[in-house]
Amino acid sequence: MSYSTFNKNQINPLHEPMFFGNSVNVARYDQQKHSIFEKLIEKQISFFWRPEEVDVSRDRVDFQALTESEKHIFISNLKYQTLLDSVQGRSPNIALLPIVSIPELETWIETWSFFETIHSRSYTHILRNLFTDPSEVFEDIVINEEIQKRANDISQYYDDLIFYTQLWQTHGEGVWEVDGEEHTVNMRELKKKLFLCINSVNALEAIRFYVSFACTFAFAERDLMEGNSKIIRLIARDENLHLVSTQQILNLWQYGKDDPEMKEIAEELREEALAIFMKAVEQEKQWAHYLFRNGSMIGLNEEMLCQYVEYIANMRMEAIGFDAPFKQRSNPLPWMNKYLVSDNVQVAPQEAEITSYLVGQIDSEVSAADLGDFEL
Amino acid sequence: MSQLYKVKVNGQHELTVDASQGTTLLEVMEQAGLEPHYHCRNGFCGACRVQLVSGEVDYVNDPLAFIRPGDCLACCCTAKTDLEINQ
Repeated sequence: MSYSTFNKNQINPLHEPMFFGNSVNVARYDQQKHSIFEKLIEKQISFFWRPEEVDVSRDRVDFQALTESEKHIFISNLKYQTLLDSVQGRSPNIALLPIVSIPELETWIETWSFFETIHSRSYTHILRNLFTDPSEVFEDIVINEEIQKRANDISQYYDDLIFYTQLWQTHGEGVWEVDGEEHTVNMRELKKKLFLCINSVNALEAIRFYVSFACTFAFAERDLMEGNSKIIRLIARDENLHLVSTQQILNLWQYGKDDPEMKEIAEELREEALAIFMKAVEQEKQWAHYLFRNGSMIGLNEEMLCQYVEYIANMRMEAIGFDAPFKQRSNPLPWMNKYLVSDNVQVAPQEAEITSYLVGQIDSEVSAADLGDFEL
Repeated sequence: MSQLYKVKVNGQHELTVDASQGTTLLEVMEQAGLEPHYHCRNGFCGACRVQLVSGEVDYVNDPLAFIRPGDCLACCCTAKTDLEINQ
């Protein structure tokens, strides 16, 4: 079952499941099994932005005036987000492209990953402006224990799926020994690994970014680090779209609108999927604790952040069919919403980038009535 | 011509909405002083999801978030009949 970059068999993508069917050959979008993915591509591309468009030069002055505990909060969050986007900038491509079976989803995965690379480049843009040599910050990402703990949980499901897919594509189904360890490879196992991987990615996009977003916007509420906040708003808007795509995949499986075997697996592994989400919630709370260990910042403390994690987790879990596990039903940080509204996202003062803006969509039709009260 | 519908929220608040104004359910709840959940207000994040107990809604733009059976996205829909929603 080796992968071919151009499958020569005649296949009908309308009859293929999202994953583990025949590999895609012609990238065509005239007929689509799940048209939602093309809508996501269009929306994502209309969101295009470049980090360099955002002026972050004032942030350097603001940063120097922050207290030591605030600097710790700011830099730690940037490190964590750099880790998240380093993983997301490559993993959907490496893990999912070899097994995807419909063209619109294949293109969505590439579009999604590409935008994560824009996010990664924006962190360098921010850090270059704050430090003459930002390498110490980047180097700490692979040393810092708190970040490492999270990195393991984030990458483990991807790595597992990638490894088993490689075994399957080179050796086929069977029991294979690698480095003295036996691995059972069959379609059911592969699909289970895919299901857990998508759940883990969903939890990542759903809540892992939000502690960090909350801190950024809390600085912005005090008119501090505003360049950074503009960038994070654009990132938050993109991440929302990525989240919707994993929610779509999980729901399509659950409602039996794709591969019927994935519906069975979704039921079978429901508890495990729940555990992945709950662990992410727990880790985010611990992260809030780590951020505020040297002192909190004005307008935000550990307790409020943890309440926000619970509030947002309720919302995200209901979206994929779980009951809301936490009591926190009201928004403890109401000011967050104004930064998450998509139409308020502004790149530069002179360029209001509204989400409905699309190149070439200007109404160029002029009717005679438009000139009705025009006199010479 | 105004088209008035009743919207019952969480079984306690009874709101009246004029569908001909194109006011979304989210705005209706906000105008009544309730605090509905929202983020993007554009149909792609799903944060404004409410339970649609009875009635029908119209979508003003095509939502990208998955709408589970029995739910609706308040930020981008208007009332088509009398409604009962929970959030």
